[in-house]
Amino acid sequence: MGDLQFGPILGYLPDLLDGIVVTIGLSAVSVALGLVIGLVLALARYSGFAWLDWPAYAYIEFFRTTPPLVQIVWLYYGLPALVGHDLDAFWSAAVALGLNIAAFFAEIFRAGILGVDRTQWQAARVLGLGLGDTLRFVVLPQALRNVLPATGTTVIYLVKGTALATAIGTPELLRVGQLIALETFRPVETLTIVAVAYFVLTYPIALAFQALERRMTASRV
Amino acid sequence: MANEARKLVVIDRVVKRYGGETVLDGVSLDVDAGQVMVVIGPSGSGKSTLLRCLARLEAIQKGRILIDGALVAKGADEPGPAPDAAAARLSHDVGMVFQSFNLFPHLTVLENVTLAPRRVRGMAAAEAEALAMELLGRVGLEDKRDVHPARLSGGQQQRAAIARALAMKPRIMLFDEVTSALDPELVGEVLKTMRGLAEQGMTMLVVTHEMGFARDVADDVVFMDRGAIVERAPPGRIFSQPAEARTRAFLERLLEREGGSRRSR
Repeated sequence: MGDLQFGPILGYLPDLLDGIVVTIGLSAVSVALGLVIGLVLALARYSGFAWLDWPAYAYIEFFRTTPPLVQIVWLYYGLPALVGHDLDAFWSAAVALGLNIAAFFAEIFRAGILGVDRTQWQAARVLGLGLGDTLRFVVLPQALRNVLPATGTTVIYLVKGTALATAIGTPELLRVGQLIALETFRPVETLTIVAVAYFVLTYPIALAFQALERRMTASRV
Repeated sequence: MANEARKLVVIDRVVKRYGGETVLDGVSLDVDAGQVMVVIGPSGSGKSTLLRCLARLEAIQKGRILIDGALVAKGADEPGPAPDAAAARLSHDVGMVFQSFNLFPHLTVLENVTLAPRRVRGMAAAEAEALAMELLGRVGLEDKRDVHPARLSGGQQQRAAIARALAMKPRIMLFDEVTSALDPELVGEVLKTMRGLAEQGMTMLVVTHEMGFARDVADDVVFMDRGAIVERAPPGRIFSQPAEARTRAFLERLLEREGGSRRSR
């Protein structure tokens, strides 16, 4: 191994930027999908109705316990075989990661809802608020504060997890980095730059969640 | 029961069980409009459960509960159709104040009071705010409108909770040991608010250990023990010459504990 040389990689910066854009896209789609499905799953589990709880439980355990890499491959190669309809590499990865992360969000949200005192539900009930209004105006805003730290961690975890899309050739950040490394024979330098890029993507997310948490706490005490 | 229609609240042979334990064992009680009824009794006597059944927070196993002649709850064995849950909820006839206030901590005092009128009644924001400000004035909290509950004292929180319940214009207000969680010096302000309500003719069912309040404000005092009503009488009679030995024993224990050292209200 000779000296580290970052010079040869600089010419590939536009390619890395393209990769970053794809990574952001994958992250945004899968987080959005994961949040929505996760909330539905959490409510299904909380509902106390077996016919909602059990399917949600099965979903969560399936997606938590099988590798996300395999889930991406299933969706990309398996879906066309099953239904004769395919998703491209971007959407396969985005949807698979969204379905996966939903299981984690679901458990976080469920804990958050359980953390809201039962007496809050009762107070809402004697005021005549229905289930939807009770969730929207009373329970979920309080649960939100409880779940912010864990949700932030999971989002950051997911942004880095989008690198798994490399397996099906989605041209995201890590994939682009690997190609540059092959061309320049500088894997250490390239991957170091890739790591810095992931940091630049994820650290603002961490800061944003911290700020949100501070704001929600400040308004109450 | 021809005279049921005249009673605002009719509790008829209500049985409530938790698992194998019978918490209410055939309780019957009726309350006239404008009447203030104070329920006393040892802990575990079922008095809080009785309020919770009236507020529909608990299902009952036997008997019926009617409010203004309309069935709001009944046991599975009772004949006749089940109460219309949606209609009952929309009639917002029962307001309840809890021992632990249960204000919504993420909302301001004003938002706590306006939430239900806006969402349940579909009241416009300005109208709900006007109503809330009038009620906050009545409980002496106009200047706290934009404050979150955590910044209020316990007494202020409880008064805000009373305003929140009143905002739904209930026909009857239930008070479940609403001063028990308060520091002693804050009890008076909450009781004063409740006296004010009683003077304005609100029908009230009050579970409390504040005998001074019961003596001054109650039209009738009900003594409960072991899930049943032992005695019901006007305060003047129940405190001076209770008919039942159990009532007398309870009151004596209570007076002993208070020992005359507690402030009189």
